[in-house]
Amino acid sequence: MLGEILNTYYLQIGSFILINIMLAISVYVPLSSGQLSLGSAGFMGVGAYTSALLTIHFDLPIFVGVIAGALAASILGVIVGIPSLRLSGVYLAIATLGLGEVIRVIFVNWDSLTKGSVGLTGIPQLGREILEFSRGLGFEPAMIGIRNNQFVFLSIFLVLLILVIAILWFVIRQQNSRVGRALQSINMDDRAAESMGINITHYKVVAFTQGAFFAGLAGALFAHVIGYISPADFSYHRAVEVLIFTVFGGSEVIIGSVFGAFFLTLMPEVLRFVSEFRYIIYGILLVVLMAVRPQGILDANLLKKFKFKRSKGGVR
Amino acid sequence: MVLELKKITKNFGGISALKDVSFSINKGEIFGLIGPNGAGKTTMFNMITNIYEPTSGEIIFNGENITALKPYKITEKGICRTYQNIRLFSQMSTLHNVMVGGHSQSQSGVFSSVFRTKAQRKEEQLLKEKAEELLDLVGLLEHKDTIAENLAYGQQRRLEIARALASNPSLLLLDEPAAGMNENETDSLYDLIKTVQSRGITVLIIEHDMPLVMKLCDRIAVLNFGEKLAEGTPDEIQNNEAVIEAYLGKEEDEVDA
Repeated sequence: MLGEILNTYYLQIGSFILINIMLAISVYVPLSSGQLSLGSAGFMGVGAYTSALLTIHFDLPIFVGVIAGALAASILGVIVGIPSLRLSGVYLAIATLGLGEVIRVIFVNWDSLTKGSVGLTGIPQLGREILEFSRGLGFEPAMIGIRNNQFVFLSIFLVLLILVIAILWFVIRQQNSRVGRALQSINMDDRAAESMGINITHYKVVAFTQGAFFAGLAGALFAHVIGYISPADFSYHRAVEVLIFTVFGGSEVIIGSVFGAFFLTLMPEVLRFVSEFRYIIYGILLVVLMAVRPQGILDANLLKKFKFKRSKGGVR
Repeated sequence: MVLELKKITKNFGGISALKDVSFSINKGEIFGLIGPNGAGKTTMFNMITNIYEPTSGEIIFNGENITALKPYKITEKGICRTYQNIRLFSQMSTLHNVMVGGHSQSQSGVFSSVFRTKAQRKEEQLLKEKAEELLDLVGLLEHKDTIAENLAYGQQRRLEIARALASNPSLLLLDEPAAGMNENETDSLYDLIKTVQSRGITVLIIEHDMPLVMKLCDRIAVLNFGEKLAEGTPDEIQNNEAVIEAYLGKEEDEVDA
C-alpha cells in the first residue's frame, strides 16, 4: 500500500527543498545580525568536497564525512569572518562573493585532488548506505511493502527533514534568548548595541560561522544525495539563488527563508508544463514582488495578523 | 572621584573639537556639561565611551585608565549613556530594549541559550524582572510590549534611560534628555534623574534647558569652542562673566550673539 503512494520523483523534489531550506537559513542567520553574506555557495562547496573526498578516499561513513564537511566550512568561516567583518553592507557582500569564486577556482584547478571541472563521481550515496545499514540489521524494504529505490529516496527525505527541524529548533531557540537579542540589536543599531556592552565582533563572528556551518552541512548532504559534484554546482549563481530564497520569502523572520526556499524550489517543477516560459515567469514574479513587497512575502506584521485572527477564531 | 578627565584634546583633521579640557566628577553628584552648539559636549561623551579615541589626554574611571578600552568594555566597567538623537532598537519591544541593556549583567552563551539550561532560565527571569522594574521606574511598564518606534517621543527618551540603567552603571551619561520635551515631561524627567541619583548613581548630563540644569546639577562645567570656560556651582556659573559673554555676546558686539 505504502509502495503505491510513495513517488520517488516527489521525494526527490522534497529533498531538494529541504537542502535549499538549510541554505536559505545559512543566509538568514548572518543577515539577522545585519551581515549580508554571499559566501553560501563557497561554504557549500567546501562542505561538499570535504565530505566527498573523505568518504571516497578513506572509506569513512557518510555521517562522519558530513560532520567533517560542515566543520571545515565553519573553520573557514571563522578564518575569513574575523578580518572581513570589519566590512559591512555591500562591501561584505562583495568580499564574500569573491571568497566563493576563489573557492570555486581552487576546485577547478586543483586537478590532482578535485579532478578539475569534471568534478567528483562515485560519491557514496546516503540512501544506499542507509539501505545497506538497515539490511545489516535484518530489515528489508519489502517488509513494509516498498521497493528498494523507494526506500532509498524515503530515507534521504526523512534524514533531511529531521536535520531541518533540528536546525530550525536551534535557530528559533537562539533567537529568543540573550544571544538572539544581541544579534537583533546589532542589526538595528550596531553602535548603540556596542554601548550596551555587547561585543559586536564576537557576535558577528558567531552568526557568520553558524551560517558557514549550515551551508557546509547542506553542501555535504547535497554531495551524498546527488552522488556527483563539480565546481559548477557552487558558482555565484548558486549564491544569488540562495539569497533570493531568503529575500523573496522575507528576510526579517526565519519562516520567510523556509517559505522562500520551499516556494521557489517547487515552482519551476510545477511550471514544467509551460516549459521554456517557466524561468520568465520566475523572473517576472521576483520583479513584481520586489516592487510591491520589498521586505519579502512574510514579515513580522503579517505573522502577527495571522496569529491574531487565529486566536480570535479560537474564542468564538 | 568617579571620573577624571585629564587634558583631553581631540582633533578632526585640522580642526580641534576639544582643547586641553580637564574636569572631574565626584561620586554621587549630578554634573552638568553645558555650552553653545558645537562646543564639543557630545564629542566629550564620545571620548568617554570611546566611540572616538582622544588625540591626547587621559580618562580615569574609578582610578583606572579607560582611555583606550573598547566601548563594550567601558559599559562593563559601569559607564552607560543615552544619545542626543535617540538610538533605540526601534523594531524591538520596549521590554526587550531594556533586556538588551542588561547584556553586560548576564552571560548565557549559544549553547545554554539553545538548550535552556537551568542557569539560563533563571538568568532570563532575573533580566526580565529587572527590566520590568526599570520600566516601572520610568513609567513605561504598561507599554512593555509596544514596539519602541511606536512610542511617543518623550517616552522614547525615558526608555533610553531605562535601557542604560539596565547595565547597572555607576556613572550615567545623559545627552540632552529634555530635548523636545514639554514642561510636564521635563518636570517628571527632573524627578527621574533625582531618583537615579538617590540610588547612588553619578550622573553627567548635557542639557540646553537652563532652568532644568540650574535646578538639577550640583556642579557645572561650561564648554565654548572646545575649551573649558568655567566650572562651578550653578550660582557661580550664572554669575560668571565669561559664561554670560559666551551665551549672550559682548555688549559692544552688536553683530553676533
